[in-house]
Amino acid sequence: MAIELANIRFHYPKRPNHRVLNIPAWSLASGAQAFVHGPSGGGKSTLLGLLSGLLTPVEGQVTVLGERLDTMNSRQRDQFRAANIGYVFQQFNLMPYLNAIDNLLLATGFSNRKTSKTQKQEIEDLFAALNIAEQQWSVPTRALSIGQQQRVAIARALINKPKLLIADEPTSSLDKANRDAFMELLMPMVAEHQMTLLFVSHDLSLSSYFSRFESLDDFNHLEEAS
Amino acid sequence: MLGKLAIQSLWNRKGSVMLSLLAMTVSIFVLLAVENIRYQTKENFSNTVSGVDLIVGARTGSLNLLLYSVFRIGNPTNNIQWQTYEDITNNDQVKWAIPISLGDSHKGYRVMGTSKDYFQHFSYGKKHDLEFAKGQAFDQVFDVVLGAEVAKKLGYQLGEKIVLAHGVAAISFSMHDDRPFTVVGILKPTGTPVDQTLHVSLQGIEAIHIDWQQGVKIANSGLSQADLKKANLQPKSITAFMLGLKSKIATFHVQRTINNYAAEPVVAILPGVALSELWRMIAVLENTLLLVSALVFIAACLGVSAMLLASIRERRREIQLLRIMGAPPMVLFLLIELEALIITLVSCVLGAGLLTACLATLKDYFASQYGLHIEINLFTQNSMYLLAAVVSASVVVAVIPSLSGYRKALRAQ
Repeated sequence: MAIELANIRFHYPKRPNHRVLNIPAWSLASGAQAFVHGPSGGGKSTLLGLLSGLLTPVEGQVTVLGERLDTMNSRQRDQFRAANIGYVFQQFNLMPYLNAIDNLLLATGFSNRKTSKTQKQEIEDLFAALNIAEQQWSVPTRALSIGQQQRVAIARALINKPKLLIADEPTSSLDKANRDAFMELLMPMVAEHQMTLLFVSHDLSLSSYFSRFESLDDFNHLEEAS
Repeated sequence: MLGKLAIQSLWNRKGSVMLSLLAMTVSIFVLLAVENIRYQTKENFSNTVSGVDLIVGARTGSLNLLLYSVFRIGNPTNNIQWQTYEDITNNDQVKWAIPISLGDSHKGYRVMGTSKDYFQHFSYGKKHDLEFAKGQAFDQVFDVVLGAEVAKKLGYQLGEKIVLAHGVAAISFSMHDDRPFTVVGILKPTGTPVDQTLHVSLQGIEAIHIDWQQGVKIANSGLSQADLKKANLQPKSITAFMLGLKSKIATFHVQRTINNYAAEPVVAILPGVALSELWRMIAVLENTLLLVSALVFIAACLGVSAMLLASIRERRREIQLLRIMGAPPMVLFLLIELEALIITLVSCVLGAGLLTACLATLKDYFASQYGLHIEINLFTQNSMYLLAAVVSASVVVAVIPSLSGYRKALRAQ
């Protein structure tokens, strides 16, 4: 299993009476491509925070790629995230003042990979695979179009060869043409690298790209908790 | 990569960063300038006289005597009789004596009447003797030896005739134009007031004043050059004199003897003690200047800190992205500290560069107006300590925004 959640309960420290997550059990097989949808404020980002190790549950077990995140300390979770998890946001996926290459080098800097000799080649190969033109590699990413930025964002998320890719509403700021282009680039890359993909969005029209389609409400049982 | 990220991040906010950088540069410039001028002034004063055991002059404050006799600053209160000079220098303990007669000038530079012993015994810095760049010591009544700066600034060469002015004002209307002096020697630079002095014999001083009374030339005195040669040019009084003693142990004894000299009220001072008195007097000013500079620097540091703190709020998404890439909160702390450090280091370089440029520009002005010979060397031990303190203080002050960044990173998701 790529993800296993058991008896998860979560609320933010400042609002102890407002439970955000109550997940008795949920899992995602390795190599699966799952689409989870839900309304805004429904706990999607909190779920992703738990899976990436930025948050820890009040109760329960979070197992990602066979490792218990809830028993790791903060530094261990940071290292685990850098080495194993790729992440794409809706926006601000890149340091706007760094160029595309430096953005990817920054991402590799936090992982424990020691492949500096081949890093540059890997980055160039990834850019080529994602149809990022060479003249776009060395300009600050804020000078790129939104579509181009999202492609560099995919490259940034994939550069450390993560086993799990988390996408948090990555197409929300794209128009239909760019959204389709994004999905048509992303899905083959995920398949090629045999990654597990957890894609969270409120845009149900994207569900056709996925083998597994779920609503957060199906496994987040807030009524039981209250 | 963290360094590159810090530099690029600062460049991305160059508007506010430049203002902070400017404030920091000015504050470091002020700090270094105060320290440098303080150090150079002390060095200059300390190096001006060396090997002189006592300075004797008409009874006055020891500082006043030191300032006018050695540094050519201010004016003597009174002269002392030549007989007094002879009585005191006849003391068995006196090894050598240099008489000093002041009161005339040439184009703003002071003229000092003295004896040949001056070139033999006077030393400066770490016992450096006076050396001639050209020519030799005066031999005739109307010979003059120029300090290095006088010769350079006024473009004088050996053999040139120059006219002295009565009094020490930069522009004088009472000229000794009937008795010009001939340049016979030019001294090598010393970095002391010697460079700005014209040296003539005591007989020369006597000769140009022989037909003067109360500072005014007697019209048609009718003295010819031949009359002058016959005249007695033994000085009647001098301004002060320096003494070198055979034994240092005798210094206080000789000083006491001179201070008790009954025939005329005179005072003998130890140059080192008078200098210490001077340092004590200006220590309050020095410390005040340093304190004000330090406060200016702290204000600039707080400005940088406030700028970085404000930037944390704008950089919420940046922090979130770094965290998701695996950056621990400590990296955010270090990133902001690094940004403060970069601003401080660049400011140090700019401040030191600006000060070097200013000193290079104002070097001649300080030398001519204040007799301060400033060396452009900022890398003194004190300056290095000061820069180390500046860097440490900026790192400490940057802890405030760095902690804010750290806390923001902890909460990022």
